[in-house]
Amino acid sequence: MSYLYVGATAETDRDALTAIGAFFSVQFALPVRKIDLPSVDFAFDARRHQYGSIPALEMVYRLCPGDAVKLLAVTERDLFIPVLTFVFGHAQLGGRAALISLARLRQEFYGLQPDLPVLLERACKEALHETGHTFGLVHCSDIGCAMALSTRVQQIDHKRAAFCPVCSRRLPAGVTI
Amino acid sequence: MKTHWRILVVDDEAVMCESLAAWLREDGYLVDTASSGCQAIDMAQAVDYAIYFVDLKMPGGMDGIETLMRIRRLRPDASIIIITAYATVDTAITAMKEGAQEYIVKPCNPEEISLLVSRIVKVKNLQRENTILRKKLTRQYRFQDVISKSAGMRAILDLATEVASLPSTVLITGDSGTGKELIARAIHFSGQRAAKPFVAVSCAALAETLLESELFGYEKGAFTGADQQKRGKFELADGGTIFLDEIGDISPKLQVDLLRVLQDRTFYRLGGSEEVRVDARVIAATHVDLQQAIAEGKFRDDLFYRLNVIEIRIPPLRDRREDVPLLAQHFVERFAHELGKDIGEISEGGLKVLMDYNWPGNVRELENAIERAMVTCRGHSLTEEDFAFLAQNGARAKGWTVPVGMSIEEMEKLLIAGTLESTNGNVKDAAGRLGIDRSTLYEKIKRYEIPR
Repeated sequence: MSYLYVGATAETDRDALTAIGAFFSVQFALPVRKIDLPSVDFAFDARRHQYGSIPALEMVYRLCPGDAVKLLAVTERDLFIPVLTFVFGHAQLGGRAALISLARLRQEFYGLQPDLPVLLERACKEALHETGHTFGLVHCSDIGCAMALSTRVQQIDHKRAAFCPVCSRRLPAGVTI
Repeated sequence: MKTHWRILVVDDEAVMCESLAAWLREDGYLVDTASSGCQAIDMAQAVDYAIYFVDLKMPGGMDGIETLMRIRRLRPDASIIIITAYATVDTAITAMKEGAQEYIVKPCNPEEISLLVSRIVKVKNLQRENTILRKKLTRQYRFQDVISKSAGMRAILDLATEVASLPSTVLITGDSGTGKELIARAIHFSGQRAAKPFVAVSCAALAETLLESELFGYEKGAFTGADQQKRGKFELADGGTIFLDEIGDISPKLQVDLLRVLQDRTFYRLGGSEEVRVDARVIAATHVDLQQAIAEGKFRDDLFYRLNVIEIRIPPLRDRREDVPLLAQHFVERFAHELGKDIGEISEGGLKVLMDYNWPGNVRELENAIERAMVTCRGHSLTEEDFAFLAQNGARAKGWTVPVGMSIEEMEKLLIAGTLESTNGNVKDAAGRLGIDRSTLYEKIKRYEIPR
């Protein structure tokens, strides 16, 4: 039996993990399992005051259980890749591991009041997006599709928490419900 | 339409290089990386990248500006983006003066890179579309438009290049679909007559009398319906080139008329008494073995020798299989634009199917196969599944087994239908392969109600 794993790093709010787990259960035909992951604090970059997404994703990949089809990890830490100021998430294109950051999905990052439903909805969309990359999907030109590129949180809010018909057809058979 | 554009990221820091490449791949681009300016130049020589991201500061003797300048010399149409962690006004000005399209400071906002790349790709898509449309509009093909890496084809192109500047008559032979008209056009548009008309006539498509009036024109009142004088294709090609396709199919009477034009450069319009003088270079083409036609008394030997001053024989695609991947990729790129599909390549499995297939219909059949596969393809690349129809064709061609219990009539119907399919519905070719008259084949098609 193979599973779709969702995991939270040590510092992460479990509400998000629960929401993503429940969301994945209705999105994907694969059984979903949850897993606890260690912190990504080792990837802290003192110069940028952010966490390196590349070493963090490497850690997620190393911790993929043997029966995992994919492992989507969730962290609170603000992630970056060297050439960009930040990333909402990171995935191995066509691989097994993916990672999303909740830091910039929170309203309080933009000086607003905390809003848990908004955070969870954004987290589910980003989780679906990065997991889509692990299934080989690339960015979609349909701005309402979960696979559309988002470089601002408003773009995430605009997207649906679902793949468009074109991206759905590109997924391997039997992956989605 | 992203997958057709290839990007090269050049940075000595592996983590920088790979992270930008991975980010761009998620956006659907084909991305390679180089760890130095020298490696980038080597790669640019082998692959025509559309966009280069080049780090400004690189060790090893060739910095970003030097790399930029050398890529510009090698690939003047490429877009080069200089990236740096140490922005100064001087370096920015130098980079832009040397032809960098953009200058970005890392780390940069994801939106900035995304917008920048999509803007460049948008312009490149428009430029490519413009080139394709222009070429389609004028059909002014030149030798560099002939796609081939086979040694045999290169020798043919060398010969065609040499004869382009001569006034001599050329006979192009080869199976249907090998690209005889493309070579004829290249000869015309590479020679001294390029500014004058290129007039193509398919001799097989018209009945004798119609072809006669098409070639030589007619005077007012020459026949019922000739209410005004009309100039023929020879006159329209005056100063330029007339391309007579399927010359092996013309009637004995027209063979005589044509011989006269080739000998004297003069002819009479239908119903006319005034001699018309033309200066048109003749390029003829045929898939028929004219020597055999002469032996059978179907083609005049004096006309053959007039036409066959220079013979260019185009090999069938099955004899130059090394061209299949190159041609296939060319058609993928063309149809991606024409069909508005985001398909950029052919998978290894798909390519194997194409390489294994025999291509009886040659380049034209390959072109049709790619178009058909792209219409039904749902992914970003064409796979063996998209070419399943070819495997069926191939199996049918290789192993024609008759099921027990089939009547002779049923077998004949299947044989005719299969032959017509392999000739893309060309009745004349099918009749030739079946060894029967065209009229007999028409009668059988009608009797068996075979769709064409």
